[in-house]
Amino acid sequence: MKRRISIGLAVVLLAAVVAAIVFGSGGDEGTPADQAQVVRGVGGSEKAAFFADPRVGEAFGKHGLRVEFDAAGSRQIATAVDLGPYDFAFPSSRPAAQRIAVDKKVTKSYTPFRSPMAVATFAPIADLLTAQGAVHKGLGEYQVLDVAKYLELTATGTRWDQLPGNTAYPVRKNVLITTTDPRDSNSAAMYLALTSYVLNGNAVVSTPDAEAKVLPTAAKLFIDQGYTQNSSEGPFEDYLAAGMGKAPLVFIYESQFLDRQLRGDGSIRPDMRLLYPQPTLLSEHTLVPLKGNGDRVGELLTTDPGLKRLAAEFGFRTDDPKTFLDVVAGKKLNAPADLLAQADVPSYETLERLLTEIARHYR
Amino acid sequence: MKRAIATALAVAALVAGCSSDGEQPPVNPAEPGRLRVLAGSELADLKPVLDQAAQATGVQVEFTFTGTIEGAEILASGKADGRFDAVWFSSNRYPQALPEAARRLGTQTKIATSPVVLGLSRAKATELGWADKPVTWTDIAQAAADKKFSYGMTDPSASNSGFSALVGVASALAGTGSAISATEISAVTPRLKGFFAAQTMRAGSSGWLSEAYQRRATGEDPGAEVDGLINYESVLLSLNAGGKLPEPLTLVYPSDGVVTADYPLTALKDAPEHVRADHRKLTDYLREPDAQREIMSRTHRRPAVPTVELTKDFTAQTLVELPFPATEQAFDALLMAYFDEIRRPSRTVYVLDVSGSMDGERITSLRGALVGLTGANNDLVGRYRRFHGREEVTFIPFSDQPQQPISFSVPESNPQGELDRIKSAAEGLDSSGGTAIYTSLDRAYQLLQAQPDDGRFTSIVLMTDGENNSGQDYADFERAQANRDERLKGVPVFTVLFGEGNKGEMENVARRTGGKVFDARDTDLQHVFREIRGYQ
Repeated sequence: MKRRISIGLAVVLLAAVVAAIVFGSGGDEGTPADQAQVVRGVGGSEKAAFFADPRVGEAFGKHGLRVEFDAAGSRQIATAVDLGPYDFAFPSSRPAAQRIAVDKKVTKSYTPFRSPMAVATFAPIADLLTAQGAVHKGLGEYQVLDVAKYLELTATGTRWDQLPGNTAYPVRKNVLITTTDPRDSNSAAMYLALTSYVLNGNAVVSTPDAEAKVLPTAAKLFIDQGYTQNSSEGPFEDYLAAGMGKAPLVFIYESQFLDRQLRGDGSIRPDMRLLYPQPTLLSEHTLVPLKGNGDRVGELLTTDPGLKRLAAEFGFRTDDPKTFLDVVAGKKLNAPADLLAQADVPSYETLERLLTEIARHYR
Repeated sequence: MKRAIATALAVAALVAGCSSDGEQPPVNPAEPGRLRVLAGSELADLKPVLDQAAQATGVQVEFTFTGTIEGAEILASGKADGRFDAVWFSSNRYPQALPEAARRLGTQTKIATSPVVLGLSRAKATELGWADKPVTWTDIAQAAADKKFSYGMTDPSASNSGFSALVGVASALAGTGSAISATEISAVTPRLKGFFAAQTMRAGSSGWLSEAYQRRATGEDPGAEVDGLINYESVLLSLNAGGKLPEPLTLVYPSDGVVTADYPLTALKDAPEHVRADHRKLTDYLREPDAQREIMSRTHRRPAVPTVELTKDFTAQTLVELPFPATEQAFDALLMAYFDEIRRPSRTVYVLDVSGSMDGERITSLRGALVGLTGANNDLVGRYRRFHGREEVTFIPFSDQPQQPISFSVPESNPQGELDRIKSAAEGLDSSGGTAIYTSLDRAYQLLQAQPDDGRFTSIVLMTDGENNSGQDYADFERAQANRDERLKGVPVFTVLFGEGNKGEMENVARRTGGKVFDARDTDLQHVFREIRGYQ
């Protein structure tokens, strides 16, 4: 039996080799998949679907590349992941990229994608927060979360069941946005950047005094959540699959929500809403080439029109706003064309210090 | 030909099977196409789905089963490094709280979900008025304190369902709306005591608990009937679907919240190169809608993927998720309070074979195993499995006949003195003479008979390494068991197979008493004694 199998296997393997030779010799358009050079990258989970898409694979294939992408928390990439095997790192923000670039002594970087941070929620929750004055209509067909008003609610530890007239969601849990783990993930760091900016009187935190002033309140926004997941797809998937009971408010990249809407796979149900925080905060997905063809990937993502269009289809904004807006409008969806009143992200040293302080509460 | 290979692969998957001890090295080295996974034992029910996955993806899963805290500790200690490619627990909440374990976790991909809820016999649920109205954990804790129903639950230090339930009920009772912290636990301790007063069944694993519940319900096991179970929704729905329960369970989803397992298949960060691709292939397959539906229909777990609709087997109720603490400090405070103050105290009699055949390595191993329960090993698992405050422990060493029982009573605070006494008694065990198993077991029953019925959680451990050759025999035990009063009949005997112990008889003793047999012939006796603690 064993012998028969091994002979059988050998035959199959041989057939595979023959097939590879036959198909390998024929192609003259681009490079066949098995001859393409493999480029390995690591980055935030919100970009995994983009790199896994066959059309993206094809676009890189035309340039003789095959990109293999691993998902990891952006801060994990900067601090914990062994970058040895990777040709590029693609964290979701400038500070995280900056840290990698400094560690690896890389001076070059690309910022092909941008995403405003957003809050995914449900119509009944948005209505409740509207009644509290924390949500209102934006300049276009979108809703805005007033971060200062939201922070007033969290400052007093308000529970959902304490909101007057709340029959839609009378739950004995704090009004609190679900984030990822601030020790691992960039989206949590962006939440910290945003809330610290507002807590500091709409000014970026840049002095030790300001750090000390915002820390206790900012830390509580994470600690009160308890356990958090380490990658941004985690809580967003809970939002989609488990719904309002588990995740009434989730801090995400706009692209995560738009990607699902653009796919039209039914995962965004009619009662789901996307709120744009006011002020808003832009996360700049920044690619740091580490070796080999990593640089080519960064260059192609920033220059290749086909890849830019595909990026837009995954909900990312590129340096070509028209493509993004066309893609969105083409699916009869709404996304703000311009985002005003943007908060700044603190320097990466400041952000790291704040995150380190918050991490102490988890020990 | 292809078919022959597929079949051969499937056979290999079966043969590879699963070992049951995370402490032991796995037999197989790393190899592409094989994912060596340290996993929670309840995932064994995914085997048919994983066999299909192996055929479709060429990636086979090789399970080694362990408990929640053991698993996290194996990770944190570095003992998983190089031996496992991935971990797959019902949730990563616990390992994530241990920095040394957390830093070893790589890509996590959720495969299914299942909340921990209360299942009650339909009659009891109706009697309590819980069948079709919202019920909170506060209602449940109050009814439990008033002994209006009884339930079984797993040990929170051994199994994730028990751990989730403990954290869930504590958070809900604290009612602060945020994750419970170490300092808030003492405030809810009295109400938690009430909640746990109604617990009449304990177990080290969710699977055993549901089987034992079923055996009690059908009258196959002795002991008073239990009204319900706290377990995964998936386990409770599977029990109902099995059709063996005399009365189906009504599932009660507390309206103030549940804790949900999300089964993240997690690659280890330092796993060999090929693991990344294998992990992705397998998780991609398992998250395809068809595989998700297969998991849902076979195992009654909910899909992890948003586009797959729930079948009508699941409640339409919106499940509120309770915030879960994130720190080891909070977990530890809660677990220690649970063992030392909250749960019903235990009374345990150890009937221990010290016959001549135990000479040498065996008696050393027995001494070590008992000493290990006195807090001498302050590793994480040892910390929770030691004898706890308020416990009564009795040793009956035996050879030709039972020796004089030695009893200990561990005080609620400052237990060290009594633990030291237990330790020196264990160290003083000496071996010689014959093997009077059943006379000695009978002595344990006499001892328990003489104790007041003070609501303690009572059980017997019977450890022997050979055949009975003195005093009463197995038939005498059966006769005596048939004539025991209800209270003693329901005392489970956990038998430990060691050396040349009689497997058939030990299995029978366990079965007749609603206990369980533990095989220590190929594993460390200390490991087995610790495992049994989850049932005491």
